[in-house]
Amino acid sequence: MVDSVATLDFQSDIYRDAYSRINGIVIEGEQEAADNYIQIAELLADRREELLSLSKMESRHKKGFEACGRNLRVTPDLPFAKEFFKGLHDNFQKAFAVGDVVTCLLIQALIIEAFAISAYNIYIPVADPFARKITEGVVKDEYLHLNFGQQWLKAHFVEVKDRLKQANRENLPLVWRMLNGVEQDAAQLGMEKAAMVEDFLISYGDALADIGFTMREVMQLTAMGLAA
Amino acid sequence: MFGLIGHLTNLEHAQSIADELGYPEYAEQGLDFWCMAPPQIVDEIKVRSITGQVIEGRYVESCFLPEMLSQNRFKAATRKVVNAMAHAQKYDIDITALGGFTSIIFENFNLDQIRDIRNVSLDFSRFTTGNTHTAYVITRQIELVAPKLGIDLERASILVCGATGDIGSGVCRWLAHRFPQVDLILVARNQQRLQEFQQELGTGRVLPLATGLPLADVIVWVASMPKGMEINPVELKHPCLIIDGGYPKNLGTQIQHPGVRVLNGGIVEHSLDIDWKIMKLLNYDVPKRQLFACFAEAMLLEFEGWHTNFSWGRNQISLEKMAQIGAASVKHGFRPLLT
Ligand SMILES: NC(=O)C1=CN([C@@H]2O[C@H](COP(=O)(O)OP(=O)(O)OC[C@H]3O[C@@H](n4cnc5c(N)ncnc54)[C@H](OP(=O)(O)O)[C@@H]3O)[C@@H](O)[C@H]2O)C=CC1
Ligand SMILES: [Fe+2]
Ligand SMILES: [Fe+2]
Repeated sequence: MVDSVATLDFQSDIYRDAYSRINGIVIEGEQEAADNYIQIAELLADRREELLSLSKMESRHKKGFEACGRNLRVTPDLPFAKEFFKGLHDNFQKAFAVGDVVTCLLIQALIIEAFAISAYNIYIPVADPFARKITEGVVKDEYLHLNFGQQWLKAHFVEVKDRLKQANRENLPLVWRMLNGVEQDAAQLGMEKAAMVEDFLISYGDALADIGFTMREVMQLTAMGLAA
Repeated sequence: MFGLIGHLTNLEHAQSIADELGYPEYAEQGLDFWCMAPPQIVDEIKVRSITGQVIEGRYVESCFLPEMLSQNRFKAATRKVVNAMAHAQKYDIDITALGGFTSIIFENFNLDQIRDIRNVSLDFSRFTTGNTHTAYVITRQIELVAPKLGIDLERASILVCGATGDIGSGVCRWLAHRFPQVDLILVARNQQRLQEFQQELGTGRVLPLATGLPLADVIVWVASMPKGMEINPVELKHPCLIIDGGYPKNLGTQIQHPGVRVLNGGIVEHSLDIDWKIMKLLNYDVPKRQLFACFAEAMLLEFEGWHTNFSWGRNQISLEKMAQIGAASVKHGFRPLLT
């Protein structure tokens, strides 16, 4: 594949068709995040207030992205989006059911946040002006959320290290599958898959390094399943 | 803390190194994978000056490969450069050299227009191309080796391929100043830039490469080419000194001819061992001591506490700055590679 310079027509059917799925994913992703932080608050009672406020931020993000869809007269494809998040959703719920906060944090505060950050970073330069403004505001918040997970896991690194490795092995391959699943639609919006993967690897890798993994471990953890 | 942003010479090289370093995830992958790979700090470095001063640095592998340019993957190429710069800044490096092609990509794609990389706002004063020191080292290589081959620089013909480039223009300025009688042959593709540069220089003549090569006593190769080219040593003057400063090398094959001496251009040797792994992987003869002059520039700026973009922008290399970085180079124990 060679770089292509796309000229985007935000009003075209082909753009809006792709947007209906991407917009759905974003809305569903923010909803998942809002729900997940409420559940994490149950597991981390002493951080309850903070987590509930993160959850509120996610609900605000969701409203922002709903407005982006309306602005382009697009109906978000929410059933598609639910299916899209199913793997991560189920794994989160399984972990929650057994009180496994480490896996819950890895899925929501590291993987979903880094995934959102990469998608938003790559989207911003090619977004319509309305959506660009909203997305720029959102991505700043997502860094705070990533940072929450990072700080907590860092403080408990010794106890959680093995658990994190295991959770990474179970969940990171789902991310690559998700990215493959939206590659075509994202391309219609001017977003390149390689750029998203790279951005994801940077945010996720930085978080893992900060938590306490060595450079070598970070390389191994982040490449997990990528080539498959 | 100083930093070096580097890249490998081609895909095959990258795969073999990933394998050697024990990253099978990277070793088996093709170019698509490298286009997605994030920058990595792969080495921590300690350097001691002959003054006794010790500094520490980090090597950032950008995951850029020259194939990205030859296969028109320009977006990937530019991402590698800005992401590596953001990485260096995030990991608190005060002064970082943009090695090999990374500074060229920065210039060619006007990356100074991009300041904000994700949550990092790039501070360009923390980066240097290292080209001033590279130009200085190449001129010293010429001055020290040519006489040994019986070439009289006062009346020699010196061909500079890549004369309008950053390093090439610095080398030409120095030579024109030091040897007013020298016959400078200026070579590059863009004729207009060549004409303008010749006027600025006030000397030299513009010739096509094929016309210039047989006339030259010294050939300086500092063109930015993703792949090396072939030349026939029989058609050159004998003796002839060739300084190949390209990275990847501008010459595609090794030249074996008694009348032709080829030197790795822009390489310095440090007087003391450097504690690092990375140069071994770049296939250097004496990996503990030999390194690119542009990398050494970042070290010199760190030794001297000159945390500034000493070399920046194209065609800004002045004789004063070459002399200044040259003096620091000698002071801290770096020598141009002479064999
Ligand atoms: N040893 C070291 O420490 C260092 C080595 N380098 C290497 O030095 C080389 C030059 O770097 P730099 O000066 O920054 O590059 P620039 O991009 O500033 O200049 C490149 C020059 O090469 C010319 N050129 C490019 N392609 C060709 C070609 N096919 N035939 C003839 N001329 C050509 C360009 O002119 P035109 O486009 O008109 O042809 C220009 O004059 C690169 O290979 C780089 O990797 C760089 C830094 C440090
Ligand atoms: Fe959000
Ligand atoms: Fe979030």
